[in-house]
Amino acid sequence: MNPLKPSAMAAIIKVFLLAIASALIVWMIYVAVLASDWIVAGTLSVILIGANVVYFSKKAVASKFLFPGSVLLVIFVIVPIIYTAWMSVYNYKTGNEITKDAAITQLHQVGLVPDPSGTSYDMVLGHYNGQDAVLLTNQSTHEVSIGLKDKLTVLSAGSFTTDANQKAVTATGFTADTPAQIAQANTWLSAFMVPAGNDLYISPQGTDVAALMHEKFQFNADNTKIVDTVGGITYVDNGNGNFVGQKDATAVLYPGWRQFNPAQNYVGLLTDPKLNGPLLGVFIWTISFAFISVLMMWALGLTLALAMDKKIRFRAFYRGVLILPYAMPSFMSILIWAGIFNVNYGALNNLLGIHVDWLNDPWLARLVILIVNLWLGFPYFYLISTGALQALPTDIEEAAEIDGASGSQIFWRIKLPLIFQILSPLLIGSFAFNFNNFNLIYLLTKGGPIDILNGQTAGATDILITYAYKTAFGGNDQNLGLACAISVIMFVIVGALSMWSLKRSRVLEEM
Amino acid sequence: MSIALGKKKQSRTPSNLWRHIFAWVLMVFAVFPIIVVVSSSLSATGALSTGSLLPTKISFGNYTMLFTNSTIPFGKWMVNTIVLAAVNAVISVLIGMFAAYAFSRLRYRGRKQSLQALFLIQVFPSFLALAAIYVIFEHLYTLYPAIGLGSLGGLLLVYLGGSMGGSAWLLKGFLDTIPMELDEAAKIDGASPSQIFWQIFLPLTVPILVVSTLLSFIGTFNEYILASLFLQDIQTRTVAVGLQSFVGGTFGANWGPFAAGSVVAAIPLVALFLSLQKYIVSGVTAGSVKG
Repeated sequence: MNPLKPSAMAAIIKVFLLAIASALIVWMIYVAVLASDWIVAGTLSVILIGANVVYFSKKAVASKFLFPGSVLLVIFVIVPIIYTAWMSVYNYKTGNEITKDAAITQLHQVGLVPDPSGTSYDMVLGHYNGQDAVLLTNQSTHEVSIGLKDKLTVLSAGSFTTDANQKAVTATGFTADTPAQIAQANTWLSAFMVPAGNDLYISPQGTDVAALMHEKFQFNADNTKIVDTVGGITYVDNGNGNFVGQKDATAVLYPGWRQFNPAQNYVGLLTDPKLNGPLLGVFIWTISFAFISVLMMWALGLTLALAMDKKIRFRAFYRGVLILPYAMPSFMSILIWAGIFNVNYGALNNLLGIHVDWLNDPWLARLVILIVNLWLGFPYFYLISTGALQALPTDIEEAAEIDGASGSQIFWRIKLPLIFQILSPLLIGSFAFNFNNFNLIYLLTKGGPIDILNGQTAGATDILITYAYKTAFGGNDQNLGLACAISVIMFVIVGALSMWSLKRSRVLEEM
Repeated sequence: MSIALGKKKQSRTPSNLWRHIFAWVLMVFAVFPIIVVVSSSLSATGALSTGSLLPTKISFGNYTMLFTNSTIPFGKWMVNTIVLAAVNAVISVLIGMFAAYAFSRLRYRGRKQSLQALFLIQVFPSFLALAAIYVIFEHLYTLYPAIGLGSLGGLLLVYLGGSMGGSAWLLKGFLDTIPMELDEAAKIDGASPSQIFWQIFLPLTVPILVVSTLLSFIGTFNEYILASLFLQDIQTRTVAVGLQSFVGGTFGANWGPFAAGSVVAAIPLVALFLSLQKYIVSGVTAGSVKG
């Protein structure tokens, strides 16, 4: 007999798992606190406390079952959705990704020019009082000092030792970095500069030399204006995330910052000809593609279901072969089709001995997309249509026959409307799926063909989701804010569609 | 007896001819790309010769290349994909099962509201928030590289986020069909809800759990958009991202090994699918009838 009762065993497993999870989260909180990331640390603390309360309390049975899924759902689905909405109201793109404070810190760095005195220093990287620090030896005067990110301290003779070249190598309270630490030093060194008074800074040039620099930018008190003392240009905050020349707005200082600008992305999508032209085209194609796809798949699937509705010979064999497209991993099928339609090596051109550039002509590419989608989807529609046909009451057909209806009348006037009613939630679901069918478009045509040379930003087969993906991650210019605005529009459309379908199927009331 | 005979006779009459012709035409359409990929995987050049679907000379060079050429770490991609898909499938089905049990069997305050909220959230595909997911995981990378951008761990977390909305519905539908008397009897015998769950429900639901796990596995196998966002390094890619990056744009040079890779990766999945065909088909058709 088992020495432990099942419930005792279960309790041990529970405590064990909870202990591991808690230890992991405590470690993660520690890391977040070290990085002063209070949002992450706070979120993790809530999860830690929540988990222990839920699993040690005698009540709240339901939350024991719902807790893990809910936490994952909130953090990795709901938070990104909210964050998408938040990003969509910012000017958030390449060159404008950081906060204004961070951008100004970097601009201080950008504005450093070598001081006319040409002073330079030998430098040793290390730590002083737990802070990142540099030990500096002036190459002409041999004065030795310790530089921190906010202070420069000149050392008196005796508190440091030098090598044969009069370069300081050790100092009281200063620990030099090991070669491994130096290899990692770029993370802090790139933003490191030691203030030396009078707008002068000592800035590292590599890992063993530093130079005296002065700042050519003068910032006004509330950081709304920058004067370039060398070039004689005045830059002002343009209210949209950048400092631009007061007289010449095309002179832009980088980096910029993400500026709250609630209207820009949405209004831009509607009014900017560079954006609204492609968007309208993409939108029309998205709707037509999804609608025609569903219609074609259903027509073919239903016809097949009707053909197979009778117990004909080889039916099981036919069925097994015909659902193969549904069984194949779809991403692979799409890539295979892309190869088949390839102009130079494609099986289709080779077999027929022709040379048609299927994927490079806008209308042919759209046709190919529809054919491939039909291939991918008709088995599913065959299966659900078969199910619907079997669910039809048989007495209806008999009653219609008695009333003298012909075969085609029975089908078009009685069966088809009934099947449509049964299948409508699945048809809507399939429409919503194809509305966002990223894999098909991206893997088959990448949204192309696209005429980049003539300034096109959307390809002939781009749907909203591939367009958003390219806006966010395609090419060198990433416009995350705009991509998020497109995502929000898609959320609204998909959400409205699903709500309408839910209302029809009354699934919410039945819960 | 006479009825069965009559049916057999009927199936040979010309009126059924169109059904057979229709089926054959569609079967040609259905298997065409499969034949193309199998025969080009066996062709030495990877390309098909003009006018013929079958390779003139059979060669396994494309298959050996998959596992010997260091620029195509196909084996690594397969391992990544299988581990990712399997871990995700098991955890997400377990989470889905937890949720389904609570929704189906436990009565608590806010049950209906939480069900409705969950239903509404899961209609939004999470990849629509891809730019936000990218920025969030770029930030997480600076704290925890193991679950940040570029890692399979981070990708797994994003997939798991959708697990409660995913399999929970199918499982809840199944649990609703198990008679209540069963848990009432167990309750009278002194079993706690977690004992009922682990010792009664889990064993009873094994068939549906297997199907859910398989569907989840196939879903992960096919997932491309988030995987391509996360997995930039060639060694951490999944089969979908790896094969796409490998074949994308350069069908000429890489078509042969790509075809071989597709065959290797597709065979286990198609076999699994066909062996569980009965369950999957009944799940799919049940969806249509229930609606």
